[in-house]
Amino acid sequence: MNPATGSLLPPSFPSEMLTTILFILRIIVPFSCIAVAARCFTSMRLGKRRKDPVILLEDTAAHRILPVFYWENSIGRSRSSDIVLHDQTVSRSHAVLMRRESGWFVSDTNSKAGTLVNGRKVKERAPVFPGDVINMGATELTLRRVESPEIDPFRPVYRRAASPFSLMWSVFIIQILLAVQVIFAKGNPDFNAALPLGLLMLTEWILYLYSITIRGQVSFELETLAFLLCGIGITLISGVSVKDAFMQLVAIVLGIIFYRMMIWFLGDMDRVTRWRVKIGVLAILMFAGNLLLAKSRNGSKNWISLGPVSIQPSELIKVAFIIVGTSTLDRLQTYKNLTGFIGFSAICMGALFLMKDFGTACIFFMAFIIIAFMRSGSIRTVFLACAVAVFGAFLILKIKPYVAQRFEVWHHVWQHTSDSGYQQVRVLSYSASGGLFGVGAGHGCLENVFASTSDLAFGMMCEELGIILAITVVVILAFLALYARSEATRSRSTLYSIAACAAGGILIFQACLNVFGSTDILPLTGVTLPFISQGGTSMISVWGLLAFLKASDERTYAVRRQRN
Amino acid sequence: MKTMGKRSLIIFFIVACFFLGIGSFLYSFATQGGSWAVQPFNGHISGSAASAGAGKILDRNGVVLVESKGGKRVYNSDYDTRCAMLHTVGDTQGFISTGVQYNYKSELSGYNLVTGLFSPTGKNLGSDIHLTLDSKLCRLAREKLGSRNGAAALYNYRTGELLCMVSTPDFDPDSPPKDINTNPAYKGAYFNKVISSTFTPGSIFKLVTSAAAIENIPNLDSRTWNCNGSITINGNRITDVAPYGRLTFRQALAHSSNVAFSQIAIEVGASKMMNEASTMGFGRSFTLGSIHSAASNYSVKSVSEDQLGWSGVGQYTDLVNPYHYLVLMGAIANGGQPLMPYMIKNITTPVGITSKVGTATLGGSLIQSSTAARLKDYMRYNVSHEYGDSLFPGLDVCAKTGTGEVGHGKGPNCWIAGFSSNENTPYAFVVLVEDSSLGSISSAGRIASSLIKAAAGS
Repeated sequence: MNPATGSLLPPSFPSEMLTTILFILRIIVPFSCIAVAARCFTSMRLGKRRKDPVILLEDTAAHRILPVFYWENSIGRSRSSDIVLHDQTVSRSHAVLMRRESGWFVSDTNSKAGTLVNGRKVKERAPVFPGDVINMGATELTLRRVESPEIDPFRPVYRRAASPFSLMWSVFIIQILLAVQVIFAKGNPDFNAALPLGLLMLTEWILYLYSITIRGQVSFELETLAFLLCGIGITLISGVSVKDAFMQLVAIVLGIIFYRMMIWFLGDMDRVTRWRVKIGVLAILMFAGNLLLAKSRNGSKNWISLGPVSIQPSELIKVAFIIVGTSTLDRLQTYKNLTGFIGFSAICMGALFLMKDFGTACIFFMAFIIIAFMRSGSIRTVFLACAVAVFGAFLILKIKPYVAQRFEVWHHVWQHTSDSGYQQVRVLSYSASGGLFGVGAGHGCLENVFASTSDLAFGMMCEELGIILAITVVVILAFLALYARSEATRSRSTLYSIAACAAGGILIFQACLNVFGSTDILPLTGVTLPFISQGGTSMISVWGLLAFLKASDERTYAVRRQRN
Repeated sequence: MKTMGKRSLIIFFIVACFFLGIGSFLYSFATQGGSWAVQPFNGHISGSAASAGAGKILDRNGVVLVESKGGKRVYNSDYDTRCAMLHTVGDTQGFISTGVQYNYKSELSGYNLVTGLFSPTGKNLGSDIHLTLDSKLCRLAREKLGSRNGAAALYNYRTGELLCMVSTPDFDPDSPPKDINTNPAYKGAYFNKVISSTFTPGSIFKLVTSAAAIENIPNLDSRTWNCNGSITINGNRITDVAPYGRLTFRQALAHSSNVAFSQIAIEVGASKMMNEASTMGFGRSFTLGSIHSAASNYSVKSVSEDQLGWSGVGQYTDLVNPYHYLVLMGAIANGGQPLMPYMIKNITTPVGITSKVGTATLGGSLIQSSTAARLKDYMRYNVSHEYGDSLFPGLDVCAKTGTGEVGHGKGPNCWIAGFSSNENTPYAFVVLVEDSSLGSISSAGRIASSLIKAAAGS
């Protein structure tokens, strides 16, 4: 190591001392990250509404009170309904009672006997107000307010573990520590190297002020976590190339803009429903365009060049795929058929196979499984889909044996250290070299290996910043998926529940493919690690996925009501 | 919405798989991290970017064989010492996979789970390794081998300390020759022949045939064999160097009569020969610390009588690994059960803590103690009556020589394997000279003589 002879340090400052100081800072970083992440997740958990009924239905004949807990409630004879009516004249899934911006609505979902509000037959959807009478078969229900006027169920007191400001401030401090690593990466202090990280911090505070002050948002945990991860990604990239770090910063800014647009777009469920088909067609057109325009790069045809920028359409189609797949409860109950979505998924996956992008095909397949299961609840469908996938994979291996060669090295990487197992063995070797706290940003050797900052980002994190931080990062992604799950019954619509679970599933599954692929637990497929890996389109895409998680948090759209 | 809660459990399934995978990765990381990290391609321990230096390797007398200076591995300043110790110490690139540098990389590099290969203090983290080997003895062995290819090893069969291990051809690890992969003179230079190679044994295999005869022919010492130069079995002629006339068993071994020993092997029979060879370590790998030797071969399943005869005199498909024979000599000297050789005297960390001390371990029995005693007696007779005690004055050496014919226009493998039965000089040795035009005594025998005299003298 070269002795530090920078202008800021006294000439006698020993380089060993600097090494030790940077090492101590690297010990602080992962534990601070764990603390911040833990506070974010507990804050999100505490921020949830208590499980009180939001409105009541009174069975007029039996004088029985039926509490209503959710934003969208299925009503029917079936035991799986949210409001079960023991009445043979009621269909198994008869209707849906749901809360929208403008109040409560009831939607008839192809029931035999039909649904009436105040004696008038419901076509598709009808508003209901407290005191209104709903007739379903022989059952008569009256909508009643919850009888404790001091608690407005839609304006609950959100408990909070940590203020958004304190969380942001903690992330800011962590990123300062990371910036110190970057500045001293080459021994001599180089402040330019930390510029992308500094600008990221600025971006973060701008979004914070916009969201909290201008938009009046009450929660900021998801954004805080995303910034934490993005900062770690920028740190790694800065150690390799400051220019690339700037590019990554641009991608993050575009991602944030896309994120805000998605939150706006998802705010109106009817709008989402109206646009679904158009978005689906657009997605297929993008795949078609990709197949026509793309040139083969590293074995797969998933990039198209538009002048100076190259984009990966499949990354953006992930977001479209979820929008096409998700649906509100009334539509789910009315159109139970999955055929359209299965057809759409088949086209997407077919296109990905033609591009030879097997990693992304796996991700789409996982998203398909989650959405199909969430929509139908049918384990048979999932098994059938898996069986078809296994058969398809088998067929491809039979017809195109060269595909199999890509997977041959799996679990034999140590016999191929200089050819097909080159990347994996270096990930393992350099991960171990980093120990628990890493060798320091910019001091790694893995950065010289192809795709180090994208496909091998996990290994780079291990080597330069230590395995504790690397594991923390992927565990945060796992907790995002668990968070999406915990919101499944609390969100404002199944549209958000399904979308959030699909998005959370994609994030963790992509992390699995990235981490396990590069460490030879799974075959190497070359997908990015969400929020960490270098890559413009993929960064924009993960922010889009995060928007689904944000939308499923019922607090997200609560502000507008407060302000009105 | 209730159903969403249930159906979303699919996420739990995926997350559970994720944690399973992470758990498996962390387990491998904790258990195999050391071997992952110390790969030869790792820039942290080799090449110009080496950030953490590696520890030293020293011989039994504290002579530094290799150390790290300025991010580079620097070997002993003496050319002959560098070359003689090459196969024990290993090369910088890690091509010599039986070398200490390759097998003790994680100790030398200072790898640990907490800081990996990184040194938080900026100082060298690697441990120093002290060997039991004597670099002077190795240098002597290399000097005596000269330009000839071969292998030599010597160990103390009472303490287990390996004192000498040399393999030729070798090269200078400070500046490996550019044409090492193309020049036929360097063929096999990356192999430590003591550990990794097997050779046609010739008459040193007669020790196995002898052991089988001792155990299976009751009146062995009263039997005689008529050795008049050759014998024809199955139309195949097995010859001796000269007609010896009528020989007792002891004389037949001392003269190394192929005529007698091929008949003995046939008399004992294939299955008993195989059993004896297997007991004596054929078909098995022996360990030197964490390093595994190549296995010797003796296989006479469904062979013709002449093939069995040839196998009994160390030809046919017989192959012997020198390290195996070194251990076998230790076993005979030690009454059947060998003290296994070791070469790591101790490993000391940079803060001066000794993390590992080499100790001798008793190996599994290779020969019955009564058989060992009789074999020792015959081997002593070989030296005193045939090879001459002048080769090993005052050392009471028991030994057997051999010349393994390899064909293909090459000279035979000349061997000697033996040990000193003197309590004060408990050394066992194996020497092999390939493609030798001299007899086994004048080639391998003389090298062994110099080695054991030097070892006894120091």
